[in-house]
Amino acid sequence: MSKRKMFLRMITASLLRRRSRMLIALLSIAIGATILSGLVTIYYDVPRQMGAQFRSYGANMILLAKEGESLTTDTLQDALRAIPEDQLVGATPYRYVRLDMTSRQQSFTTAGTDFAEVQKTSPYFSVEGEYPQAEKEILLGKEIADTIGAKVGSYIQLTWRPVVTIHENASDDWVPNARLSGSAEGFNAGIVVVEASLDDEGKIASLEIDASSQTPEIGGQVETDRNFISRFIGQTLPVTLGEDVDAVSGATISSQAVVDALNNARSTEKGGAAAERSDYFNVTGILVTGGEEESYIYMNLEDLEGLTNDKLLDVAELSVSANAEQLEEYARAIDGSDAGITARLVKRVTRSETAVLGKLQALVFLVTVVVLLLTMICVSTTMMAVVSERRREIGLRKALGAPDSSIRAEFLGEGMFLGGLGGLLGGLLGFVFAQVVSVNVFGSSITFQPLLLPITLLISMMIAAVSCLLPIKRAVAIDPALVLKGE
Amino acid sequence: MLFKMIRGVLFHQRGKMLLIAFTIALGASLATGMLNVMMDVGDKVNQELKTYGANITVKPKDSSLLSDIYNLEEGEEELNASYLEESDLGKLKTIFWAFNIVDFTPFLDTNVTLPDGSAAKLVGTWFNHHLSLPTGEELDAGVVGMRSWWDVTEGKWLDENDGNVLDEIMVGTALAQQQGWKPGERVTLSASQGSREVEIAGIYDAGGDEDSQIFAVLDLVQELTGREDKVASIEVSAITTPDNDLARRAAKNPQALSSRDYETWYCTAYVSAICYQIQEAIPNCVASAIRQVAESEGTILEKTQLLMILITALSLVGSALGISNLVTASVMERAQEIGLLKAIGAKDRSITGVIIVEILITALIGGVIGYFMGFGFAQLIGHSVFGSAVEMKLKVIPIVAALIALVTMAGSLPAIRTVLRLRPAEVLHGGH
Repeated sequence: MSKRKMFLRMITASLLRRRSRMLIALLSIAIGATILSGLVTIYYDVPRQMGAQFRSYGANMILLAKEGESLTTDTLQDALRAIPEDQLVGATPYRYVRLDMTSRQQSFTTAGTDFAEVQKTSPYFSVEGEYPQAEKEILLGKEIADTIGAKVGSYIQLTWRPVVTIHENASDDWVPNARLSGSAEGFNAGIVVVEASLDDEGKIASLEIDASSQTPEIGGQVETDRNFISRFIGQTLPVTLGEDVDAVSGATISSQAVVDALNNARSTEKGGAAAERSDYFNVTGILVTGGEEESYIYMNLEDLEGLTNDKLLDVAELSVSANAEQLEEYARAIDGSDAGITARLVKRVTRSETAVLGKLQALVFLVTVVVLLLTMICVSTTMMAVVSERRREIGLRKALGAPDSSIRAEFLGEGMFLGGLGGLLGGLLGFVFAQVVSVNVFGSSITFQPLLLPITLLISMMIAAVSCLLPIKRAVAIDPALVLKGE
Repeated sequence: MLFKMIRGVLFHQRGKMLLIAFTIALGASLATGMLNVMMDVGDKVNQELKTYGANITVKPKDSSLLSDIYNLEEGEEELNASYLEESDLGKLKTIFWAFNIVDFTPFLDTNVTLPDGSAAKLVGTWFNHHLSLPTGEELDAGVVGMRSWWDVTEGKWLDENDGNVLDEIMVGTALAQQQGWKPGERVTLSASQGSREVEIAGIYDAGGDEDSQIFAVLDLVQELTGREDKVASIEVSAITTPDNDLARRAAKNPQALSSRDYETWYCTAYVSAICYQIQEAIPNCVASAIRQVAESEGTILEKTQLLMILITALSLVGSALGISNLVTASVMERAQEIGLLKAIGAKDRSITGVIIVEILITALIGGVIGYFMGFGFAQLIGHSVFGSAVEMKLKVIPIVAALIALVTMAGSLPAIRTVLRLRPAEVLHGGH
């Protein structure tokens, strides 16, 4: 066998053999890089993804009207602007009133709400049957259903009766926009009746007088005398005859009776039978929660507004996918806005979420660190094995006269090339892994961290370089003759 | 001869074998650590989720909507209201899943008149009530654990070991602010069956309805209302298994299950099974799951476990590939030696046997070291994250052992086969 032939054979054999070693080294770096980029991506995304899961605990913020202000659908929308749309899981308006169940002579707390939002803010609600979809459909709390023996499909008549407040003094009834009615004794014990309405500022806006009991030509004039009546418009109750208005000449007693009747006037809207409204509702579902919600009736806000004839809300429940600090920030923003709404955090939910989420993040962090550490050591041992195997080659090159530095540079360069390639491969594979985890566990895709790819690349190259360096150094230091001899 | 050869390799090529053992140890420790943590993470996270408070409420059977429906505020007691017995509470810890019941506390409330004539709700409960159970177990139960989100802004929690706890109350921030109360002040509370002057020990911020209530020890409220040994409801915090189909069917009607399903259900810590057992243990009660807590716990537990399983799978695959990679490399490296053995007439089978045994012995050493290292990692994670030890699961040992055996074989056999296929002369030549 000629020398030349021998050399060629050496090279081809070495190359062929080295190809499989190269592959081994590349594979091991790629594994390390996959784990690195996969776990780090998951670690960064876990709080966001887990936070979304914690929303199954329901509302973590509630909105109430500030004192003296009122909460309506419009002011609620204003307030919601303080919260970024992608963090707002749901916002459910609630209006609570007591409605009478006609058939049972009982009254139940009824909540008017938006069922689409309820399913977002209270995912733990369990409905036997279905959520109401059409008008005049209701959800019955389980306790009520058990008490009254109602089932899905039952019809229930519910009646709204306005809350009647009887004021001790007539003056308490003189609120802006009130409709008033009063009476007083006039001439010859005849009763004069007045009906008045007040404007936005509580001033008299209109006045009608019934003086038919008075002598038509004398006292009766107060009914028709435009000059007399127009003097009352714009006055504030109580009025005084002779100061605020002048008497109709010759009919002082009747004029005084009009003034007295006005000063006695009470609100006419004190819960007369006419004001009550009633309707039949179809039970589409029974609500089971294990909590106090089971003793409520739930209906569409529009249906309830149809009964009460106003558009007020008592409270809005918000489910916001944000951490405690962000929540507090949003709450401050809502408090500070001029919507007249104050935000409160549901401490039980926010506090516990912060605690548990913190633990989970710490868990993933530690796991990531341990796994990374062990994997990186694993990778470098494999690299070391692969490189130290080439001691013979190093010895040979040295024997052929190659300087140490060029050997070192060449091996290092080779190692770093492998590191870079493996890092790139692993970085992408890791993202795929993170994506698989995210889709399987959380059912949503993960956000790609663009910075992670160069970092993975860099770390892989560094590990490859460091783990090459040690065995090369040792091989270079040894006398080539010894290395070539095999020991 | 075999032993001599193996010993020779193990001692003479100590450096290389050490490297392999080290890598296997790392892989094994990774597998052990992750598997241990994964298997225990459910219990640990469940424990953490207890900060959300009770997931089961226990009420008397006949407690109807009466007070709710008629909006009764006073004199509700007269309407044949029913109660549970305080002395029955210990029975909660006698049910099949007693060990899973972490904490519980009874409640009895009444309306009291404050010195300024206004009314407030006084809630009697346990704070850190010490129980010595017939089973010999000792525990402290009460709202201190069940209301972990409360902030005691001024003063302190009531302490039931304190002698004069019967003369102390805790007041919610909203009520304290409205009344202008400060800790240390003495106020008189009047209820249906008497009144008592008590000292405000602490003011709490609960972030909810409880902020306008007064909390006191159960005995005080029982005395003020004349209801010796009575409680109106019990909140129970239990560690449960997330519901599945069986649990959902059982929750509707346990009797409708087949006897086999019934047994499975009864012997699993489903919230419905625990409720059922509580109803068996405490006379005349209805135990129901608070879905807000129970359901969400299930979701979060499932997600966390799934996440850990996937991370564990990744690290298992990673360590498996790492180990088999190294083993392959080390076999390839010994091509010359194998060629030599072949040249002097060794059979393929015996060569393979020698190498496999060598590697398995190395793997065994590495694996044992790795198991303990991994257990250490698991404890590190357990202590630093959850503040408690991770339970040592025995089934991890066979899994890790099988994994490593499989991986080393898978790493070495193809490599040996490749090397054997080469002609000895070539191999012996090629290296020089």
